[in-house]
Order: sequence, then structure tokens, then C-alpha cells
Amino acid sequence: MAEAAVAVNAVTKRFPIPFHRRVVTAVRQLTLRVEAGQIYGLLGPNGSGKSTTLKIILGLVEPTSGEAKIFGRDAREVASREAVGFLPESPYFHKYLTGAETLRFFGKLSGLGGAKLRTKVDESLELVGLSDARDRRLSGYSKGMLQRIGLAQALIHDPQLVVLDEPTAGVDPAGSRDIHSILLDLKRRGITVLLSSHLLGPVQEICDRVGILAEGTLVREGMIEDLLVLEDRTEVVLRNATPELMQKIGALAETAGAEVLEEHKSRTTLERLFLDATKKR
Amino acid sequence: MHRAFSPRRFAALTTNTLTELTRLKVFHVLLLFALVLIGSSMFLARLSFQQEFQVLKDIGLGAMSIFTALLAILATARLLPQDRDDRTVYSILARPVPRFEYIAGKLAGVLLLLGISILVMSALFLAVLFLREQSVAAVTARQMAGGSPEQLQTALAQLRAATFSAELFPAITVIYVKGCLLAALTLFISTFATSNIYTVVVSVFVYFIGHLQATAREFWLQEQGAGWLARTFLACVALLFPDLHLFDFSDQIIAGSAIPLPLFLQTIALGLFYVVIYLLLAIAVFNGKEL
Repeated sequence: MAEAAVAVNAVTKRFPIPFHRRVVTAVRQLTLRVEAGQIYGLLGPNGSGKSTTLKIILGLVEPTSGEAKIFGRDAREVASREAVGFLPESPYFHKYLTGAETLRFFGKLSGLGGAKLRTKVDESLELVGLSDARDRRLSGYSKGMLQRIGLAQALIHDPQLVVLDEPTAGVDPAGSRDIHSILLDLKRRGITVLLSSHLLGPVQEICDRVGILAEGTLVREGMIEDLLVLEDRTEVVLRNATPELMQKIGALAETAGAEVLEEHKSRTTLERLFLDATKKR
Repeated sequence: MHRAFSPRRFAALTTNTLTELTRLKVFHVLLLFALVLIGSSMFLARLSFQQEFQVLKDIGLGAMSIFTALLAILATARLLPQDRDDRTVYSILARPVPRFEYIAGKLAGVLLLLGISILVMSALFLAVLFLREQSVAAVTARQMAGGSPEQLQTALAQLRAATFSAELFPAITVIYVKGCLLAALTLFISTFATSNIYTVVVSVFVYFIGHLQATAREFWLQEQGAGWLARTFLACVALLFPDLHLFDFSDQIIAGSAIPLPLFLQTIALGLFYVVIYLLLAIAVFNGKEL
């Protein structure tokens, strides 16, 4: 069996509440595996343990029991994070630095330097569409721009695993679409992506596999197509179908022992409508 | 191949801290220092030149000490909470950056900032002394125009001796070391503090205890005698709170007495000892911290 990009085995995390003799269990007996090259979505409502799980994987928080590994190395080892890029939820970074300075700083922390660092800074700014804002201080960036510079810093050292906590939070639909394109491009390049989100639509579009957390417990896990398919139902989309034709289809279905459950006009999504309406002409 | 310590990462953390603090306009403190110094030099012009330079040096070194201490505490107190609030700490430590390197890099950035500040303040201080000396020398020369050249030379030599002395440099160095000590102490406090205000208040509290403990010790030993309990208690206080009075050479400078080299070196070593101890404590607390 190939080495998993991320392997979490029976992890539990409890946080003691000072002065209350109580503990809060953020994650319970969590086991999950992210294969190399996949886009894995960790879903769940607020407070379900997504961010704690990501922090355990990144060695920022120690599990109370169980273990987490990145490409076979214990997540508590500093060296396990050599090939990892991380975008925290709603990052602000150092607001007195410019976009380019921020990327230079994170590039140096990842061992880049000299001409290679300069090239990577330029490429990363280009990738997230912030080349024009490279010399502006982050205090002047919008939330969406901060999210994009955050993505750029996570990718500047060509990591093999990218961990993103709510990557599209606060980003407009066009920006979200751009971020999804970048993530799909990472997948094409064989880079593993682990993201957490509570926005289900976009996750469904880009993730290969998802895990659903509720109150710290993994309640569902699997490949998207396996989880979403309803085995006993089939959809047929017709163009220019008349009422007579629909009647005939209903009768035909009945003779074959099937049943037409729904019949309605096809709809676009609000996101698609928004993107089409705001598309630059 | 991961390296336990990387000079490049350390330098990046240090320069980033320095850049951020510089852009926060903490150097505005230096403007205040310049105003205090220039204002007091104009006010003191009415005294005799020996008195004037004595008081000017007292004010200059005192202001340098206070502004350096303020800068050390205020600049350091915000570093860790700020990184936590804007989530930069997650992006940094999610890379192969050991926590000790992060803490040491932050402290090094502040020490660099304090170094630059002390250099600028020293330059301002020496410039004010020089300008006052030139001005007083011109007045002296005018007043002694009718006297013998020997008398004038003697008066000018006395003036130079009253203005500059080599002892100013060890005094300034010790002020810098005290600033480093306070920065390391503040960094340690901020690793377990719940807010910026808490860090600043506790650091200022330790600053005052540090300055008063020598006087309190003397008083206590005189009043209570030197029983083992009193000695143990005082030893604990001395261990927890550095005796900051030891880092004040301005009395000797004002009195014109020389600072013995062994005392100077001993004071520097004591300051560095505290810096290392507080740094190690900060690393120990931060290592066990869940982010």
C-alpha cells in the first residue's frame, strides 16, 4: 500500500477548561487517510473539530491520544512539515509588510533564497493574480486579497501537501472559482490538497473524497461519487420535451415497474448565474 | 534535508521582526528623547558649565535608560499576541521552523531594534554635548579674551573634561544590556500572558521591583536582621527579579569617577545571563503551548 500523504489514527483531543474541572472533547477517535494526489475535503459545521484536526496534522496541537502522520513521519516532528504549505482560516499576516515582502519572508522560512526566491515570489503573485498589488502593504488588502496572498505563501516552496482551512471564506464567487482552478491545477501536478470547509457546493465540485465531522466525530467518509449517488434513482434531462412526451414517458415507466418521482424544469445554480452575469465582457 | 537550526530562517525571522517594528513607528520614541535632551540643554544654560554638563549627562543617560526600557517592553509585548491574532504564527510554525528558532528570532529582532535605537540616542546625546561644549567654549574664549593663553587653554581643557569622558560608553553599553534583559523578560511573560496589557503591566511591575529591591533588601536586613528565612526570601526575590539597580552607572559618571573594568564586565555578564535564562524559559513555555 502506497504511503498516505496524511494518516490520522484514532486521534482524540481534549481541551481542559481552566478553573472549571471540565474538558471539552474537540476530536473523538478520528481515523482518516488522505492519499497522495487527492483533494480531500473535511466538512462540518462550525465547532465540529475541523480546525483542531488540521492543527494536529500540522503539529500545532498535540493529540491527547492517537497519532497523525505526514508522508509517514510523525506530525510532531518539525521535519515532517518540510513539504507542507498551510493557509490558516481568515489570515491577516503582518499588515506592515507588502505582498512581495510577505512571500519573500515565507519563502526564506522554507529554505528558498537568491534568484530562485525572486522567481518564486513573482510566479506566486502571478498565480494568485496579485502582481499589480505586490508593493502594497497588506493593511490595504481586501479580505479576498489576503486569502489569495495566503494561498501564495502556502504554495511558494512547491509543497507536496497543501492544507487549507476554509480557503474560500470571505472570497467572492469569482475569487472562489479562481482558487478552485488553482487547487485543481495542483491536483493535476500530483500535489495533495487537504481542505476544510462548511461551504458544500464548491467542495462537491473539486474534492475527490470527503469526510464529514460532527461534534468531533467522523460521521461519514468516502469518495464523493459513492457518497452522493442514489442507487435506485436515475435522472434524464431532456430538451424541448412536450407534455405529451412526458405523459408517454410516465406510462412507459409504469409498464416497466418504475415510477417518475419528480418532473421540473432544469435550473442553473445561483453561483453559475452570478458568474455569468458578472463575467468581464 | 531538514536542519535543526538554519541561519537563513533565523535571519528571516529577525529581520521580519525588525521591519515590522520599524514600520510601527516605534522610532518616534527617539523624537521624544531628542526633545527632552534639547529642551533640557537649553534650560540648563543658566548653570555653571560644570553643573550644566553634570546635569545634562544625568538627564541624557536617565532618558536613554527610560526610553530604552520603554521600547524594550512595549515593542516586545505585542510580538507573540499579534502573531497569534493575525494567525501568522500558524503559517510560520506549519513550516519546518522549530519553536525555539521562532522565539529566538523574535528576540533577536527586538535586540537589533534596541541596538539601533541606542546608537541613534547616543549620537544625539553626543551631538548635544558637543554643541553645548562648542557654545560654552566660545563664551569662555570671549570672556577670557584679555587673559593669558595658558589660562584659556586650562579653562578649555576643564570644559572638555567636564563634557566628555570615556566612562560614557560603558554606561551606554550597560543601558543597552538592561534593555536586552527587559526585552527577554517581556518575551518570557508574553508566552503565558493572556493579553498585551497583562504583559506590559507585569513587565513594568518587575521593572519597578528590580529597581527597588536593592533598597528594600538593605532596609529589610537592617530592620529584620539577617536570619536564614529573610536571606532565603531575599535570595528568591533576587533570583526571580533581576536587580536592575546594578545596571545603573550614571551616578559614577556624574560624580566623574571611573568604572572599574571588572565591574563593567561583571555587569554585562550578569545581564547576558538573565537574557539567556529568560530566553530559555520563554522557549520552554512556548514549546509546551498549544496554538
